[in-house]
Amino acid sequence: MTINVLQAVLLGLLACLASLPGMGGTTIGNYTLGRPLVGGLLVGLILGNMQMGIIVGAAIQVVYIALVTPGGTVSADVRAVTYIGIPLAMLSISAQGIDPNSTEASGLAAALGAAVGTLGTVLFYGTATLNLVWQGIGWKAMESGKWDTIKRTIPMVDAVFPWVSHILFSFIPTVIICLAGPTMVDLMKQYLPMDGIAMKTLFTVGSLLPAVGIGILCKQVITKPLDWITFAVGFLLAAVMGCNLIASAIIAVFFALINFEIQTLKTARPAVAAASAGADDEEEEDI
Amino acid sequence: MAELKKTSEAARKACFRNWIYGNLTCFSQEHMQTFGYLWAMLPIVDDLYDTDEQKVEALRTYTTFFNTEPQIGTMVVGLTVGLEEAKANGEPMDAETINGIRAGLMGPLAGLGDSIIVGTFIPILLGIALGLSTGGNPMGPIFYIVAWNVLMYFGMKFAFDQGYTLGGSAVEALVGPQSAALRGSIVMVGTMVIGAVAATWMSITTSFELVFGPDSSFVLQNTLDAIMPKCLNFFFVWLCWWLMTKKKISPTLVMLILVVVAFVGVLLGVFDPKLTY
Repeated sequence: MTINVLQAVLLGLLACLASLPGMGGTTIGNYTLGRPLVGGLLVGLILGNMQMGIIVGAAIQVVYIALVTPGGTVSADVRAVTYIGIPLAMLSISAQGIDPNSTEASGLAAALGAAVGTLGTVLFYGTATLNLVWQGIGWKAMESGKWDTIKRTIPMVDAVFPWVSHILFSFIPTVIICLAGPTMVDLMKQYLPMDGIAMKTLFTVGSLLPAVGIGILCKQVITKPLDWITFAVGFLLAAVMGCNLIASAIIAVFFALINFEIQTLKTARPAVAAASAGADDEEEEDI
Repeated sequence: MAELKKTSEAARKACFRNWIYGNLTCFSQEHMQTFGYLWAMLPIVDDLYDTDEQKVEALRTYTTFFNTEPQIGTMVVGLTVGLEEAKANGEPMDAETINGIRAGLMGPLAGLGDSIIVGTFIPILLGIALGLSTGGNPMGPIFYIVAWNVLMYFGMKFAFDQGYTLGGSAVEALVGPQSAALRGSIVMVGTMVIGAVAATWMSITTSFELVFGPDSSFVLQNTLDAIMPKCLNFFFVWLCWWLMTKKKISPTLVMLILVVVAFVGVLLGVFDPKLTY
């Protein structure tokens, strides 16, 4: 498998749209095109192996299933994870002749995606810093006090100028790295034998990394120790009882419905108690 | 009394469109979503006021820093459209009040949006999509693309309209005591699905074994499976959570710790993927 110039250009354009902050907007850009699973479909279609693209995308998606970026702090860059990580992972999986469906392939994909994603934070800070220049143009227009200037400049600042940031920090890096990919992968194969410590570590890291993504999620939803029981029930449904994710989700909704009923009753009860207490007081006053 | 000023349907549509597309396009660390907000309010201000001086003055209100979870934040934009309309009609509403409300809402809504939309809703959708995409089936990503965008578009439209018509009470509906039961239950579904994801989409095994003789050996993985299937998955998720919440270690550093664990594990023979080219 190789990547030609046209394919690299398409990947570069998708990287511009999918970034955070990206030119595709938040909902369609970052949260749709930027998700590795969706990226896997698109990269797979561009590179002519949709099936492998989705498998690789899914493996990387697990690591970043809950990539929350509170207050714009970024631990991994989606454009790099999705549009550099997935193509490189696909190249090395096919170069090494591993079965894409295997655990080894997902381990390799996850490790490559995470490595590229962490390095990609440089691209995030590059984009955000260059955007300061465009915002500067916007502030100048606001200070001019001329409505026509403001009305003309603000849309340019928000929808046109940032493209320059993205050509420099999304398009060019993606195109160059994707084009260099095959040679990089060949070199890797030559210098890093599979039974060497480096490759063993890389694959082991790949199998451990999803724990970070899921750990971040747990940080969001687990607030008291007993919440781990809820987590464990979901875990056991899949690990022991063999439920798939859809079945597990439906069972989870059932438990949540029961919980909702109980919680609603709980909040309603003090109100009822207070109301009856009030009635008692009135009676006493009457006496 | 002068006729009541009201924003036109077209101006509100332009405002909504500008926000949902442009909330982060010109992001910088200094003024995160400020320009997205300015772009969203531009058609509203243009519509409500007559003279250029008034328009410039009104738009200046929105030059203060703004940042929240942009999708749930659509509600704040809708709310300020309503407030700006009141202000244009001479109601006792000034720039300070509008900015006070904006600043008061952006923090709590960011927390709510990050935990409910990004931390729970997206993982649930992705979890289902991952289940559908086994073996490279395109149904998974397609399901996510359609479900996420359709639900988000109508969700944001609803949030915008709610913000516009109901004003402050719309936001109370989401953060008030009545909603606690609902939010708790949504988070519960999230927790269970995450548990199932941890068991389905991770595979951590150990290759550690002690050989005592030709027919006698201790295989650690078999012992672990007897305790609980896939218990190493559970352990590593808990470990990462513990490092991040109890030890306040950043995700990037946790990843580095795992690299060290993997490296040491490989050297000691605890981890071995047993691969060949």
